[in-house]
Amino acid sequence: MNARRMLLAVVCSALPLVGFAQGRFGPPPPPAGPPKTAREAAPVDLTGTWVSIVSEDWRWRMLTPTRGDFQSIPLNAEGKKVGLAWDATRDETLGLQCKSFGAPALLRIPGRVRISWQDDQTLKIETDAGMQTRLLRFNAPPTTTEDKSWQGYSVANWERQLRGHGAGESFALFSGAIGRGGRSLEVTTTNLREGYYRRNGPPYSADAKVEEYFDYHKEPNGDEWFTVTTVVTDPKYLTGVFVTSTDFKKQKSAAGWDPTPCTSR
Amino acid sequence: MRYLCCWLLTASALVTGVASAQVDFTGEWSPLYHEDAADRIPGPEIGDYTALPLNDAARARGDTFQADRLSMVMQYQCRPHSADYALRGMGNMRVNKEMEPLHEKLTAFKTYMPAWGSERTIWLDGRPHPPEYAEHTFQGFSTGVWDGNQLTITTTHLKANYHRRNEVPSSDKRTLVEHWARHGDFLTVITWVDDPVYFTEPVVRSQSWYLDPSQQVPQAYCEYVTELPPVTADSIPHYLPGTNPNLTEMAGWYGLPHEVLRGGAEKMLPEYRKKIPKPETAPPAMCERMCNCSDFGTCR
Repeated sequence: MNARRMLLAVVCSALPLVGFAQGRFGPPPPPAGPPKTAREAAPVDLTGTWVSIVSEDWRWRMLTPTRGDFQSIPLNAEGKKVGLAWDATRDETLGLQCKSFGAPALLRIPGRVRISWQDDQTLKIETDAGMQTRLLRFNAPPTTTEDKSWQGYSVANWERQLRGHGAGESFALFSGAIGRGGRSLEVTTTNLREGYYRRNGPPYSADAKVEEYFDYHKEPNGDEWFTVTTVVTDPKYLTGVFVTSTDFKKQKSAAGWDPTPCTSR
Repeated sequence: MRYLCCWLLTASALVTGVASAQVDFTGEWSPLYHEDAADRIPGPEIGDYTALPLNDAARARGDTFQADRLSMVMQYQCRPHSADYALRGMGNMRVNKEMEPLHEKLTAFKTYMPAWGSERTIWLDGRPHPPEYAEHTFQGFSTGVWDGNQLTITTTHLKANYHRRNEVPSSDKRTLVEHWARHGDFLTVITWVDDPVYFTEPVVRSQSWYLDPSQQVPQAYCEYVTELPPVTADSIPHYLPGTNPNLTEMAGWYGLPHEVLRGGAEKMLPEYRKKIPKPETAPPAMCERMCNCSDFGTCR
């Protein structure tokens, strides 16, 4: 037996284990510095001015739908009843013109959004349509004692890295944790004032919960987009969840930014 | 001993190079029709070109549409939904993995949708797309790459078909790019479609499914039946330019300006809201058509 060959064989077979062992069975990683802020940890850059390109639900977003036109919204009987009682004049009289500009509906309204970091833990979304501001708070408590509002209380986090178990790129005879970094921004919003999904009155209640997933994507022609998937849970007025996904294209400038107050019509 | 060492070296190289899936998309996915429900389930109104960046060539083709052609012309019957339309149209979806057994390497996702049994393969093994002259099919040729937890799929070699079922045409020059993102039990598929023949710019849309382990995707079949006798053996029902009476129906039913229905990229921008003309017919006081359509049981 050639000892050098034997040594070579052992080294060869052990090489793939090195990286693996560092992940699962190795010593704990050295103490890191202070935890990254949400801004530092951002896997994608969502800041800038974005315009909604209305490629879906055109009639219901660009125009005020007819009374009772609730197409695509899974309203239950109570939701339809309340929706049919929609009265724009009454809303104006009561100063409720922003009822269709709340968090469950805001990003569905055609317009531009400006996204920026208010501080290291707070992402701010401003809209020109309705002149609304949403604050997405990272590392924040899940609930608040603030008054209910059109935009509610939003807690955000970057999608956590999936840590499934399997061989992954390590030695196949063993199993270990695998996974790659997440890319989505996840937001949960509660503490809402009751409002409308659209300007013709389909309602959501003050108990509605909104979960959103912001996905950044870059296309072959160089255009940058984000798509926000919005999942609304509201047993009071919905038969099940209400899920939409809305697409925004990044602008090179703030061109077209057109602040316009809320309207009931 | 020499052979043992070689074997170990080879085995090490093979197992360490294996690419693994970042997210498992397999399972039974049920579509959510919470956008454009009537367009996607019973079907679009004739002449509704809203929300598409169409050019005049596409409008001209769409304007010729006479629904009788589906009843009389075999070539128009049983057309599968193309890879791009299937994601927007009706579609429960089953996703399977295809594994390379020796190294347990994921080589492809396979999708099945019940619209005429559409099967599709999304290759993940790095193979190139075939040359342009290769066959074009309804599902095209798809390859995927991972970007973190997002799967980006590029599809070429699509056969000419339609972007919308009211015969807005799609060309065989189009390219489809998808981004699949799984959020718990929800799946978002974002599509970017570039059709240089019929679009003035690419269009981005997005669709949602939820994981439904109890789903049973039905068997799909389509039978060719001539429902109306053809006028002549080779006739294709159509309207000549400017003669299609159905093109104005939708504007009347919903009280919409006819111009907005003609579609186009400029009408997809928020600022177009300020330019929308007054409708030729006043809208009805109360919704009369597809008012609560949000799934298969509510669209009438």
